[in-house]
Amino acid sequence: MPRADSCQSRSLYIPRDATILSVTELTSREKLFRLRLSDGSELKHLPGQFIQLSILGYGEAPISVASPPTRQGYFELGIRRVGSLTTAMHALKRGDKVGIRGPYGTPFDLGSMGGKDLLLISGGCGLAPMRSLIQYAADRKSEFGRVTILYGARSPDQLLFREDLDKWETISGFACSYTVDSREGDGCYSGSTGLITDLIRPIELSPAETEAVIVGPPAMYTPVIAALKEKGLSSQQISLSLERQMRCGVGKCGHCSIEHLYCCQDGPVFRLNVIEHLHGAL
Amino acid sequence: MRPFLPEERLGSLLALLGHWGEVYGPVTTGDGVTAFRPVSDPGQLRLEYRRTLIPPKRFLLPPRETILTYSPDAGYQPLDTAQPALVLFGLHPCDLQGIAYLDRVFLEGVVDTSYRRNRQALTIIGLSCEPDEFCFCGAAGADLPAGCDLFLQRTPAGFFVTAGTMKGEEICDRSAQLFTLRQPAGTTPWHHPLADAICRGCAAGETFPDNPLWDRFAERCLGCGACSACCPTCYCYDVLEQGGLDGQAAERLREWDNCLFKSHGEVAGGVNFRRSRRERLQYRFLHKYYGFGALRGVISCVGCGRCRAVCPVEIDLAALFEGEDHDRQ
Repeated sequence: MPRADSCQSRSLYIPRDATILSVTELTSREKLFRLRLSDGSELKHLPGQFIQLSILGYGEAPISVASPPTRQGYFELGIRRVGSLTTAMHALKRGDKVGIRGPYGTPFDLGSMGGKDLLLISGGCGLAPMRSLIQYAADRKSEFGRVTILYGARSPDQLLFREDLDKWETISGFACSYTVDSREGDGCYSGSTGLITDLIRPIELSPAETEAVIVGPPAMYTPVIAALKEKGLSSQQISLSLERQMRCGVGKCGHCSIEHLYCCQDGPVFRLNVIEHLHGAL
Repeated sequence: MRPFLPEERLGSLLALLGHWGEVYGPVTTGDGVTAFRPVSDPGQLRLEYRRTLIPPKRFLLPPRETILTYSPDAGYQPLDTAQPALVLFGLHPCDLQGIAYLDRVFLEGVVDTSYRRNRQALTIIGLSCEPDEFCFCGAAGADLPAGCDLFLQRTPAGFFVTAGTMKGEEICDRSAQLFTLRQPAGTTPWHHPLADAICRGCAAGETFPDNPLWDRFAERCLGCGACSACCPTCYCYDVLEQGGLDGQAAERLREWDNCLFKSHGEVAGGVNFRRSRRERLQYRFLHKYYGFGALRGVISCVGCGRCRAVCPVEIDLAALFEGEDHDRQ
């Protein structure tokens, strides 16, 4: 029997208690939960990492952290209501308790991003993990160059973090635009319509000085990558966050592999050059 | 000269092994299946057995297991009941190799405490075997006994005994009066040509993407998952929670999952990253022959032959290395 690296007696599956501080409705199916670990400690995550959220009687699901570690005393999770666990989460209120394991996974490569212009592209609820990076860059502006945020959603009523989007636009050195596939259902919407790639085309960037990040639904990756390559970016300058089924978060349950890489440990953030040739990655 | 246990003293050894826990060995059950079950009399043992239907992984990773319990006072807690000590008697080298692989998955790096609890309860006695038409060990060095406390090399008159661990030494010391000393006869090591083909193919990084066998396999695969359920190194698991009706208590469970099932690659909202049977078979192939995560590059197929023996439509992923289908229809 091989010796363990460290003598751990605590089960890796035991979640820590966290208390809901507030709940904000983002859309009809997404809510933002602000939480604090009940023992008062910080989550100590980095942008791009995820946690396993436990709800008593429902089990666990992997959720990306939507706030940056630079904002202390709380962390936030943007959660879409899609299954039984997320439906149960949506029924919870301020003061209720949930369980948290993690943070897990490889974060965005903040080291390589330092000093560079950031082009941050997200779609749908991919803006939640991206928000952690955007707010991090806003809090440590001196460490980065220009920050360009592009975001696409299906329709106006599905745009997440509307207030944040407007606020980011006003930060000096930041530019932010968003678009919707169709303005159906909101006659008052005055923003742009069209695909996310339509927002990329007019952007002027210095390819050598830019790091791009994409977080979105699977269908978004291929066209966005093509548009970025047209702009002169190489695969090494593009990072993505991928979604897979992650039951354990620590490389044991066998579900989230992309060829030989575990999405939960080697990812969820990958450099494009590491995964673009892997079967089933994109 | 090596310690030798005459066959007629096997009963005495089994009785002595009872000191280390309840002894389980290969028996034929009432429904005709070979399985590891409690044995008290050596007459129950099927010493010439080929393979059990379910590998011994079930003692380490039970098909369904409670990993945490919840109560309002204590929150989530691991099970604190001690696991009863078990002696697994008669494991073949392939199954020993399978356990050695699972040990690496669950005990290296982040330790899986539930697995460790089950593993520490086991004493493992290996037994040499005679291969049949499904076996092809040697693929991953499985012909060398690995990770057992004691290994018995069977001969017509009895067993040569080798200790593999401190516990094995202790068993030998305690049972010294049962042993004689004999000169071992040279044995011819068993080696299957498929094992060589697998090692060569994997060393070359061969994944056979254009091989027409993939389509033929995918066309007839029933998605029953038997190949994975009976594989000594398949360990994918799902985590579930069962809440009590009072809303105050819950159990968190893990149970075997199966990469041949469609749900294995599905994420919230219904997107599935392995929609086709072909993709699911390829996922299994990659895991068996190339490894995931920390064990990338490690072949986990131990050549036990279970998947080839149980597949109802005669799919044999190892056949890719030979380039021929074993479908007899």
